[in-house]
Amino acid sequence: MTYTNVPSPVSPSIDLGDSFVTTRVDAVVNWARRNSLWPFPFGTACCAIEFMGAVSSMFDISRFGAELVRFSPRQADLLIVAGTVTYKQAPVLRRIYDQMLEPRWVISMGACATSGGFYDCYCTVPGIDEIIPVDMYIAGCPPRPEAILEAVVQLQKRIDRESIKEQKTVGA
Amino acid sequence: MSSVASDPVTSSSISGMMKPGLSSDELGRLLEGRFGLKRDPRTLQDLCLLCPSAQLREVVSFLRDDVSLRFATVLDIIGVDYLAFPDHRGPRFAVVYLFKSVEFRQRVALKVEIEEDLASVPSITDLYLSANWAEREVWDQYGITFIGHPNPSKRLLNHHEFIGHPLRKDYPCQKRQKLSINDPMIDQLEERLKERGYTVIDPGNTNESKPITPRQGGAS
Repeated sequence: MTYTNVPSPVSPSIDLGDSFVTTRVDAVVNWARRNSLWPFPFGTACCAIEFMGAVSSMFDISRFGAELVRFSPRQADLLIVAGTVTYKQAPVLRRIYDQMLEPRWVISMGACATSGGFYDCYCTVPGIDEIIPVDMYIAGCPPRPEAILEAVVQLQKRIDRESIKEQKTVGA
Repeated sequence: MSSVASDPVTSSSISGMMKPGLSSDELGRLLEGRFGLKRDPRTLQDLCLLCPSAQLREVVSFLRDDVSLRFATVLDIIGVDYLAFPDHRGPRFAVVYLFKSVEFRQRVALKVEIEEDLASVPSITDLYLSANWAEREVWDQYGITFIGHPNPSKRLLNHHEFIGHPLRKDYPCQKRQKLSINDPMIDQLEERLKERGYTVIDPGNTNESKPITPRQGGAS
């Protein structure tokens, strides 16, 4: 697959295409990104407790690189929405997501964040993908810590397939 | 022993001096004799008395201030909608007040029946501080107004753009209502700060948030 006129990040007039340079750059960049996913736990309910379990020493998410849990969206690159999101909370979630810098990924953890869970009622958002784009969904109520770890690993595999040729520009 | 200080609500000898109070029957008879309140036949276990709306404040003050009763806490204020209740004759709404006396180990409930078109009841916020949010929640979910409440139409649980009262039986339960701009509650924050003695210098721009739009790959 060849791309014509793919501008390099360095200068728009240099055409990269599909070459040795881009694949090597991809490999390095993706390796760096997947092994240093800093989570921002947007924990609202019980899934946050389970996330705490995943971060603790027994299940240890930090062996996958996601060690530094940052509580500011401006310093994190992985938004983990753990818990129920209501319509009252929805603008807040959107604002937090908007404050994150590229590259950013979103994991929707648990039944409530994925689909509203068992709260089929007047106040719950039926899935956070109504509000923000989601990369990984974790099923469970709450999911086992092992499931959270599997989601992180799957996300890492997905990051491996990314390329600088497809620059993600949201809303440009 | 229990010193009867001038402030009946805060002086209660809780420290290991719980005394046996009146039994439920005795309490029921006392209140019936004094105010003419009947027991609610639907409430099987606890003592629940039907109280007309006009007498509510009088009865509540008596429950709180009387030396042998000392119901110093209102545990909860609950709204009830009897619209879908089988074989119900009578007013559509009811408000139930749960009181507890720690000193005498006693509980009592008062049920006030409310007609649908009137849907209002006197507020007891000046008697009990915890009634403030409890009454706001009842208004939020049922639409029952509390006359004399300091903050009557402010939503507590639902968001501020919500229309309707969701726990009423005629509200479609799965009907969702989106919120476009969230309420940053700066006004309440400033109020609290002023209460504590801080001076608020710059109120600032309270509603900087832009409305959220459906996700079309758009950062605002």
